[in-house]
Amino acid sequence: MARWGMVIDLDKCTGCQACSTACQMENNRLPGENYQDVLYYTEGKQPTPVLKWFPRPCMHCEEPSCMHVCPTKATFKTEDGVVLIDWNKCIGCKYCMIACPYGVRFYTDEKPLVEPDIKSVFPGEGDLSWNPPYKGPQQDNAHGVGIQPHGVVSKCTFCYHKISKAPKGIADLSNDDAANREYVPACVRTCAPTARYFGDLDNPNSNVSRLISDKRGVRLLDHTGNKPQVYYLSGGAGPAVPSGRGGANKA
Amino acid sequence: MSAQQVKGPVNAAMMAGVAALVIGGGLALASLMSNGHAAFNTGSSGITWGLPVVGYVFFVLTSTGLTFVASLAMVFGIKEFYPVAKRCIWLALVTLIAGFTCLALELGHPFRMLWAIPTSFQYLSPLNWMGLFYAAYMVLLLLKFQKINGGDWNSSGSRMLGIASFASVVVAHGTLGGVFGAMAMRPMWYGPIIPLYFLLTAAVSGAAFAVLITYLTYGNESFMPAKVKNLMTGAMPKVFAAALGIVILAVVSRTIIGLWSNADGLQVWDHVVASPWYWIELILMIAAFVMLAKGGAPFFPSIMVIVSLFIGRYEFLISGQAVPLFKGSWVTGLIDYVPSMTEWMIILLAVGIVLAGWAFGEKSLNLAAEPAEK
Ligand code: SF4
Ligand code: SF4
Repeated sequence: MARWGMVIDLDKCTGCQACSTACQMENNRLPGENYQDVLYYTEGKQPTPVLKWFPRPCMHCEEPSCMHVCPTKATFKTEDGVVLIDWNKCIGCKYCMIACPYGVRFYTDEKPLVEPDIKSVFPGEGDLSWNPPYKGPQQDNAHGVGIQPHGVVSKCTFCYHKISKAPKGIADLSNDDAANREYVPACVRTCAPTARYFGDLDNPNSNVSRLISDKRGVRLLDHTGNKPQVYYLSGGAGPAVPSGRGGANKA
Repeated sequence: MSAQQVKGPVNAAMMAGVAALVIGGGLALASLMSNGHAAFNTGSSGITWGLPVVGYVFFVLTSTGLTFVASLAMVFGIKEFYPVAKRCIWLALVTLIAGFTCLALELGHPFRMLWAIPTSFQYLSPLNWMGLFYAAYMVLLLLKFQKINGGDWNSSGSRMLGIASFASVVVAHGTLGGVFGAMAMRPMWYGPIIPLYFLLTAAVSGAAFAVLITYLTYGNESFMPAKVKNLMTGAMPKVFAAALGIVILAVVSRTIIGLWSNADGLQVWDHVVASPWYWIELILMIAAFVMLAKGGAPFFPSIMVIVSLFIGRYEFLISGQAVPLFKGSWVTGLIDYVPSMTEWMIILLAVGIVLAGWAFGEKSLNLAAEPAEK
């Protein structure tokens, strides 16, 4: 079984937000509920401030704290390493939003970020929070895919509706592989400078595994112990500095 | 023991309680039905757990504390506390229901919770255990109250129920502490001592409510039966002051450690101490402590402590989330949050439940009862 993971090369990322836009379209997200976002921030003060940007999907952690705190097991990890939410079981307690160190989860019943409220312009039917004129993937509540229902939490699924259909045993899902392009997650598919890679972290020959070892991929906030399955490459800057204190790892 | 001994403003409390229940409940439900949780000022890029969760923590920990006070007599055999024991058990039930009400109105799917938590049983989740133990505690409290209401204080069954409800609430409040204390990614909350901190503040909260309600029942000390008066001028203020003193030390120590440490997330402490609310919280506590230590009546200190603890719970809950996690330019600086009117109405509803529930008990359940002298 594959263990899906992502590599993002920060040296290639231009901060263009094409990935975020593709994700919004693919998964019917509204402003402020970005499964995938490129965050802009300033580091340092005058006279040497630096504008930075940082692409941030869900990390699909190896040790997902969001899953551990979920009292209903609505948040779960699939056999192929993807962290998903079963919308039929989620009670909207939002404990997972508290426990995720990366701020990647969204409750939908909130004050709208932009006016007019798009959800009231396209009101949803039944339990669904809205009814967009264009709908992406097939509704699959058990995997948290589709239009978000009221009262539950959502997050990036690594485009589970696509990757779960990929041929078994495949090492990487990339645009270079014409036959399997359909299964590539939307953000990876659309990234113009090819800053994003997606593949099987457990396969030593996959492109993602090679990139992580050759270019010394690092994980965000490794000290939390969540062990993201999203790795970042940054000009080989990660390397000699251990990201944790080393030693014993939780099994 | 009967209604004519009750000289305090029980009828007024009943009316105020029902009014708060109707107004708070009516407005909160109307707003939630038309807007859903968009009626809250909480948000995915903002504060996730808002004022209703503050209310939940405040009321369930008060319930915990009230059970501690009753247990002084019923579990630990300190007989001086018998005259308030039944009232405390009843009030523990009422505050627990008030707390659960706040939480239910905050959940996306409160009814789904009833089956989804027990059937899934995520043993890793502190919330799962908290639900389990608070539910058990509620059942045990009900049974215990039923026993003593029937005059059975000391049969072995009744004693076992007392011990079991005490034990269940110690564990329940501990798991509630764990809900926050286990969050390493939120350093303001993180730490193995948090359940203990909750235990202490719960005890103080329970003592404050026990005092307040006793004074409200009798009007003032001159109308209190001798035993109640002895308790309110003797053991009660002493226990109250001792617990309060430790809480003050805990608050000060948390503040100093928070201000000193560099861990990302603790920068919120600068903001906490810059707020006048923090100082109001601290000064009320210290003033109440001084008043109690000087041997004054515990009535005003109880009110001061209740206000202070509510501010403290708010500060704990909201500040723990105020440093944004990877929100980039969506949120620059700390997250702003002011509770919405709907959120306040939920608190008003909970206050209504407590007032009306207490007044109902006082009028019809003979809360002043105590075991017959042997
Ligand atoms: S990034 Fe957050 S939501 Fe995603 S798996 Fe990790 S803890 Fe869960
Ligand atoms: S909000 Fe839903 S997914 Fe998140 S912890 Fe609660 S039940 Fe689980």
